[in-house]
Amino acid sequence: MTRKNINTSAFILLGFVAFGLPLVLRSPTYLHIIILLYLYAYLTTSWNLVGGFAGVLPLGHSAFIGIGAYASTILSLQYGISPWLGMIAGGILAAIVGILIGLPTFKMRGAYFALATIAFGEGIRVMVENIDNLGPLKINGPRGLQIPPTHIGFVNYMFEGKEPYYYIILVMLMGVLALTYFLSRSKIGYYLNAGGEEPEAAMSLGVNVARAKLIAMAMSSFLTALAGTFYAQFTLYIHPKSVMSLDFSFEIAFIALIGGRGSIAGPVLGALLLRPVSDFSRIYFGSTLPGLHLIIFGTVLILVMIFQPRGLQEPLSKIYNTLLDRISGQTRQGEVKHEYS
Amino acid sequence: MNFILEGTINGILMGSIYGLTALGLTVIFGVLKVINFAHGSLIMVSMYVAYWAIIFTGVHPYIALIIVVPVMYFFGYYLQDIIIKPIFKAEKDIREPITVIIVTTGVWYILDNLTLLIFGPQYRNIQNNPLRGKMLEIGDMLISVPKLWGFITAVITASAIYWFLQKTRTGRAIRATSLDREAASLMGINQFKIYNIAFGIGTAIVGISAVTLVPFYNIFPTVGVLFDIKGFIIVVLGGLGSIGGAILGGIIIGLIESIAPMFMTATWAEAIVYGLFLVVLFVKPSGLFGVKYDW
Repeated sequence: MTRKNINTSAFILLGFVAFGLPLVLRSPTYLHIIILLYLYAYLTTSWNLVGGFAGVLPLGHSAFIGIGAYASTILSLQYGISPWLGMIAGGILAAIVGILIGLPTFKMRGAYFALATIAFGEGIRVMVENIDNLGPLKINGPRGLQIPPTHIGFVNYMFEGKEPYYYIILVMLMGVLALTYFLSRSKIGYYLNAGGEEPEAAMSLGVNVARAKLIAMAMSSFLTALAGTFYAQFTLYIHPKSVMSLDFSFEIAFIALIGGRGSIAGPVLGALLLRPVSDFSRIYFGSTLPGLHLIIFGTVLILVMIFQPRGLQEPLSKIYNTLLDRISGQTRQGEVKHEYS
Repeated sequence: MNFILEGTINGILMGSIYGLTALGLTVIFGVLKVINFAHGSLIMVSMYVAYWAIIFTGVHPYIALIIVVPVMYFFGYYLQDIIIKPIFKAEKDIREPITVIIVTTGVWYILDNLTLLIFGPQYRNIQNNPLRGKMLEIGDMLISVPKLWGFITAVITASAIYWFLQKTRTGRAIRATSLDREAASLMGINQFKIYNIAFGIGTAIVGISAVTLVPFYNIFPTVGVLFDIKGFIIVVLGGLGSIGGAILGGIIIGLIESIAPMFMTATWAEAIVYGLFLVVLFVKPSGLFGVKYDW
């Protein structure tokens, strides 16, 4: 078998496992944990479009989750519009907000950009908490919105069991991964990479760095808002502290960073490794050792940043590649060693 | 009209304490060009140190400075030396390393949750201290005495730091490193030692601010988060790296927080603060009193 064959078959096997999992795993609790894991993988991959490829550190992404969740929920509760359409509306709204916030902030450097996005995210949260009615729209301030589970069905994005949610988020995750893959091999992807590494050099070569970053920001906020709708329909209850909290933004960014920013597998890998840690430490030590998962989180974050600044995907993909070499009995010939994939 | 004057005075007093909490952040940024996201957690740790120092010895809260300041100085010194320096060395060509932000956030998570684990989530305060709940009556206005002490401490600390940076040998070395790392190294200044000292001084100032807060503030594991975001806003408002700017930025925030609730619901004041912050970031990122850097 050649390397390529093994690679393809590994992917197909992974796909089978992912699609077949709900058939084997009947426990709703575990399914819930895995759905949230996929949701985080989806969010971190969307975040990665800006945080990884554009080389900045956005820390306000929960605002987009909130925009998506509130847009679709308000539209379906008050106007009876299907959440599927509301999801698109929320995504477009988030993309517009993303561009508006990106226009002035992308000029800033590192820390300033991070601070601006924090202030933006927190500002939106405080505003939602303070507004009960925005014109004809009922936002309900800090009490949030509840979605009554009365109209179950595909059109209403509401299901009895957890399996449909599982497949929806799985398809969304695969979609965003495919998008990232094609983006990283497109002109925009190269522009972003160049602009993230050396903005001045890229600009002097005629690359419109600001435009590439804005496109990435628009895509990232659009995709993040879709996850907001999913979250709202999955939990059926949203309030500003849950969907728009600073902790949420930080968690997304840090999972992606631990996994490896700017790579395709990194954010997913980060979610795969860290979500179980936080879920199980919350289940088993939640009452005796509160906050244990965040201590683990912080420690892993520091260690990874000191010893593997490009994230955990780097050593793991090295192991995977040597394994491939062993099995296929051939080494990568004539292939340029590239560091960023 | 008296209640507006009262609000203004109390806003200035509380604001100067905010400024004092942000002063440490600005000193660290001025030298390392790094925004310390663990700043709020350092305030929280200092508050716990001050709390236990006062509880065990039973002294006047401000005498706890003798314990808190050296403890926090070495805490900051070794935090920088052990955790932040390795990254700094790896990334020293970049002017504002993002990785350091991430690592200090990791420190924040660890400190906050370790405190939660050790001391539990309950609110603590020092019941019988001579400053608690004291009010000064001027006419029909009530001025909080512990906040007045805080205001005086903030002014003294800011002046002392300014004097230290201008006049002493170490202070000059710190300023030289802040202006140009390479040139300072060539002049025989050990830049990493200077970073440690600057971080230590910044953390010691955080300790002073915590002592001013302890007489009237509740102490709990996530208390730092309140001062974290506020600190960032204040230093950007006043200009990162500017000592006077930090105090004035703090006073602006304090005034907004004390006067805005007279005209609208209190929670809107928070939104105004974020809005003002974003406007300053977009219009004049170097802040109101900041030095013009090359961003």
